[in-house]
Amino acid sequence: MSHGHSDPIHHPEVQMATNRNYITGFVVSSLLMLAATILVKDHVLPSFGLLLAIIGCAGIAIIAQVYFLLHIDISEHNIWNTVALVMFIPLFIITIGLTWWMFSQLYMRTMPMMPGMPGMH
Amino acid sequence: MLVNVPGPWSPLLGRLALSEIPYTNPILAPLFIVIVLAGIALIAGVTYYGKWGYLWKEWFTTVDHKKLGIMYIILGLIMLFRGFIDGLMMRTQQALGDGPGDNGMKLMGAIHGYLAPFHFGQIYSAHGLIMILLAATPLLVGLMNIIVPLQIGARDMAYPYLNALGLWITTAAVFLIMISLFVGDFSHNGWFGYAPIFEMAYSPGVGVDYWIWTLELVALGTTLGSINFLATVVKMRAPGMTWGRLPVFTWTAVSANIIALTSFPCLQVALALVGADRYLGTHFFTAGFGGNLMLYTNLFWLWGHPEVYFVILPAFGMLSEVIPAFSEKPIFGYITMVLASFAIAGVSWIVWLHHFFTMGMGPYVSTEFSIATMLVGIPTGVKVFNWAFTLYRGRLTFSAAMLWSIGALFLLLIGGLTGMMLAIPAINYMVHNSVFVVAHFHMMLLCIVYAVFSAIIFWFPKIYGFKLNEVWGKIMFWLFSAGTFLVFFPMFMLGFMGETRRLDWPFNPQWGAWFDVQEIGIFVYVLSVLAFLWMLYVSIRDRHANRVHTADAWGTSRSLEWLTDTPVPFYNFAMVPHINALDEVAWRREHGFMDKKPDHFKAIHMPNNTPIALYIGALTFLVGFGLTWRVWWLTLASLILAVILMIYRSNKGDPGYIIPAEKMEEMDRESKARMLSDDSHQVPHGGGFSGGTVTAYAALDRDASGPLTPPSDSRHL
Ligand code: HEM
Ligand SMILES: [Cu+2]
Repeated sequence: MSHGHSDPIHHPEVQMATNRNYITGFVVSSLLMLAATILVKDHVLPSFGLLLAIIGCAGIAIIAQVYFLLHIDISEHNIWNTVALVMFIPLFIITIGLTWWMFSQLYMRTMPMMPGMPGMH
Repeated sequence: MLVNVPGPWSPLLGRLALSEIPYTNPILAPLFIVIVLAGIALIAGVTYYGKWGYLWKEWFTTVDHKKLGIMYIILGLIMLFRGFIDGLMMRTQQALGDGPGDNGMKLMGAIHGYLAPFHFGQIYSAHGLIMILLAATPLLVGLMNIIVPLQIGARDMAYPYLNALGLWITTAAVFLIMISLFVGDFSHNGWFGYAPIFEMAYSPGVGVDYWIWTLELVALGTTLGSINFLATVVKMRAPGMTWGRLPVFTWTAVSANIIALTSFPCLQVALALVGADRYLGTHFFTAGFGGNLMLYTNLFWLWGHPEVYFVILPAFGMLSEVIPAFSEKPIFGYITMVLASFAIAGVSWIVWLHHFFTMGMGPYVSTEFSIATMLVGIPTGVKVFNWAFTLYRGRLTFSAAMLWSIGALFLLLIGGLTGMMLAIPAINYMVHNSVFVVAHFHMMLLCIVYAVFSAIIFWFPKIYGFKLNEVWGKIMFWLFSAGTFLVFFPMFMLGFMGETRRLDWPFNPQWGAWFDVQEIGIFVYVLSVLAFLWMLYVSIRDRHANRVHTADAWGTSRSLEWLTDTPVPFYNFAMVPHINALDEVAWRREHGFMDKKPDHFKAIHMPNNTPIALYIGALTFLVGFGLTWRVWWLTLASLILAVILMIYRSNKGDPGYIIPAEKMEEMDRESKARMLSDDSHQVPHGGGFSGGTVTAYAALDRDASGPLTPPSDSRHL
């Protein structure tokens, strides 16, 4: 409230939020989700290829959402958003990476060996 | 696409039916009648005294962070009581049901004790969920809500309306779990839920659905709150309040809310996937069809462990405010305190596997997580030593608040050391899922409860203008501590004796004596609850005698919240103060600036009240209730309405209102007059700004020699 005088409409974050951006973000991520669903539903690719393909879709969808819906870019006026983004990367690596590691070790010890399964060595 | 539910379903009422109301249950039916009567009495009372308008204007539609904080705390205390009653019931069941015998109390279809396993399961599940998410979390969020803006010299939170929204969504979660008592059942799969027993095939009732949506709602409310706290601290600090001058409590609030913001979404996703399994028939967490049971456990604790630090960090912050104030010394090692908070927050992200060491992922993974878990001990140890050094050679006052804080330190020690034991996989394999673990985390969570009581006693006079009764505060402390010892010391012993957790029938007769001790402990706890209520009664009765006439209620406080008037006016600070030092109030007291008045006033801008947050909260309750009972029209209608309200409010915005400078001056004069005399600077005090040491009664002389000039690096006041 202490800076009530500056009109929030002029903040750069708000300026970046246009209808077109929201709609593009929505359409792009919906399409990617649809593509992933179809890929998985019809088993278009071999298992491992499928895994890579949906990881790819998810990665692009994340970037699209971060840019179009959350209006995060790495410019000066968005410094706090950039800080948040940078903090997110190690968390991402930790959570996904450690999960992957623990489950690959688990599968190695508990699952019947089937070719193409994640965690196979 | 929707999963077929066993049993009747109708489009209008979903799975609701009269048979879902447990009106023959000998515990719930009378309880229901008591609650209805109490509710009627309350409504009649409010109507009789004509207070509806007041409640609506001052409380239900408010966006004032202090009032929202007070409501959070009331909510938390009520749920603490409900969770306590659950605890009492569990203890009584185990005391009665121990051993091979049959005690003849078959009232509710029980063979052992007085509760059937089905009921017992619901009670422990609700107990855990309530205590962690609906008691501890609201209490802490409430205290942060009140204190953080005051400590950084802000007029309100960054998003006052979002703040109200968080409160009302959390309240919706409370209503949802409370209504599960009287309509249908609650989950019996433990507070964190087990895959695949929570799947439709094994838990066909509505219990798990209640559990999912209650958790989703608190998660939503808390995430919104965490965004707000971070934005507030980043953007709303008073001039001069550099990062290096932020009080430790605010720092811990920052670190805790970073964890909350990053981890709660994990919980929401995990539960949404459980929801997909139960409603849409997917197989994320089933044993077959490509599902993976342990993935649920993994996702849950990915949130769950950061969550336990989300609740302990603000508690650490409270200790860091109370202990210096009653030691009359600045906190020892401010910088290490801050760094330790962030180290704890950071490490909390790489330890979650210690909750399922027994999964079977082999020694390499276990070793990593074991070592990471033990690392937490380093920053925690730093904190404990800092508090100890703050106490060392301080001028200690053993007030009620201080007693609670010191009690918290003892519990932290026991909880931390047993945590270290649990972090060793070899030990963990022996005691996992035993009541030893239960005793460990109760030490930790009670440490939080102690810190919260300490903080409530400490900050109460700031908000209400009078102190809580010291004598009853101490009586309550000793009763509560006796209860803690009597309940949890036996629990550690039982853990060593191999009692597994959640036993509705503890079969081993040799445990009997320990259960009896625990039962006595629970009754001592009951006494402490009575002492708490009595403390409130006595304090309110004698409020005129206990009125605080100074800004600084304790005479030895240090941070900024003690600078403004007591009780805090709705605008917090008539003029936003300029901050000159870490521990601003101690600094000003030291330099005789406590009674400095602003020489001019400025117009201020305040947010308007709004009922929309309350409406949206109520609608989210309906969404949760509709989803639980699969009443699709209700769910959809409430959801759409909530979205419409949100869009409406976003488009309308809130221009707020302006209080002109003259009005501010007048209000400030009135507020000051209410405080009678501000003689806080005459109180004997110890060291001043950070790094100062204890000085014996140098203060009075200094005041006599007139105010000192501020150091050259500070600007105008
Ligand atoms: C020194 C720091 C700590 C260490 C080393 C530690 C270690 C552990 C370990 C290894 C477990 C898993 C035991 C098992 O299930 O076999 C555990 C459980 C637990 N801890 Fe801690 N802990 C620490 C601090 C805390 C804190 C600060 C809290 C909360 C305020 C906490 C709350 C819990 C809870 C709630 C559980 C059990 C949850 C459940 O199974 O229902 N711990 N702790
Ligand atoms: Cu943990």
